[in-house]
Amino acid sequence: MPIKVLAFAGSPRRHGNSELLLDWVLASMSTEREVSIEKIALTEADINPCRGCNACEKLNKCIQHDGMDIYHDKIVEADCIILSSPIYCMGIASQPKALIDRAQVFRSRKYVLRLPIVPPERKGKRLGVFLATAGQKWSYVFDAAVPSVKCFFHVIDIKDADISYLMINGVDEKGAIENHPSAKTGAENLGKTVISEIKTRLAS
Amino acid sequence: MEIKVLGISGSPHRHGNTETLLDSFLEGTHASGGTVEKVILNTLQYSPCRGCNACHKSGDCIVKDDAVILYEKILASDCLAVASPIYTMGITAELKGFIDRQQYLWARKFILKTLYFSDDHIKRHKGIFISTAGLGWDNVFDGAFPVITALFNTTGFEYYDNVIANDMDRYGGVKKHPAALKDAFEKGGKVVGVIEKLKTI
Repeated sequence: MPIKVLAFAGSPRRHGNSELLLDWVLASMSTEREVSIEKIALTEADINPCRGCNACEKLNKCIQHDGMDIYHDKIVEADCIILSSPIYCMGIASQPKALIDRAQVFRSRKYVLRLPIVPPERKGKRLGVFLATAGQKWSYVFDAAVPSVKCFFHVIDIKDADISYLMINGVDEKGAIENHPSAKTGAENLGKTVISEIKTRLAS
Repeated sequence: MEIKVLGISGSPHRHGNTETLLDSFLEGTHASGGTVEKVILNTLQYSPCRGCNACHKSGDCIVKDDAVILYEKILASDCLAVASPIYTMGITAELKGFIDRQQYLWARKFILKTLYFSDDHIKRHKGIFISTAGLGWDNVFDGAFPVITALFNTTGFEYYDNVIANDMDRYGGVKKHPAALKDAFEKGGKVVGVIEKLKTI
């Protein structure tokens, strides 16, 4: 069975800094054997915001039908879930925020209906990665994004210790990240480390 | 003297906890003589920011929709009350999508230098964040504050106050909260008085 990597490129700008960072991670993962990668550009994914209707607390599914229909299942099937986003106005972009809010179905499943997210044999074997870029150089520019990202991973049964972060600030114009001293190496190392850790866990 | 109060509800829910709290704040401003307008984001037609950065050169957004009209309204207001429930530790995607569209104003201020708010202007324009959260955690609003700060900074409002109430799930809604609605009403009344005073100086 190949390791399934599900990657969400959250930026509305295609092939900008946060997507490049993601592409570097995915490229290094793809050099490993037995890895299948699916990348989704959220700006083209037709994922509406959560309506806050709480119907999923009873139905265990979302009553909205849009692009998210297939990703609820794919999120459960994946061994590694990666989310990338630029920082806009001190937070994640609205497209990944919509994805995160639509994970409410998993929150309902886990905390209200008390149902499992993944089968017991896969619990603790999935890893999450959050990649972000910001134009501002402020050290705290990612602070407001991280709590939402943590919620996203928690509700899909990926705990804090299993989330990796690579967040690069001070890159604004398209492609600026290519001149960053450590971003590319960091991304490539992260890709390798994550795949190797999943292999170890799946073998145990 | 007219004090224009603009309330924006960023909740997908009509008449839920957050909008009810906003209503109470707006009633307070109205009772003190404010001219009140309430906008429900969910009823507007706008798309999120595309991140194209075209506004960095032109100072205008290339997307012509209701978001730009609402920003014009914001700039013409004395008091801006922005409301959102907390979803997964942040504001809703609807409100985030709208706030991200302020990039053209940011570009005017910081790149093109065609928009400037004096300290005096900022002092006379008060921004209030209104929010409710189901969870009772102390830090449940922390992810929202920086984004709201960015909105008020870019549009020339002083981040004056929060009208926030957490633990809604335990209370069973804002109407059952012992103080939230009364506080919101009082804060609405007070802020109109404060702006009035500042405008007459």
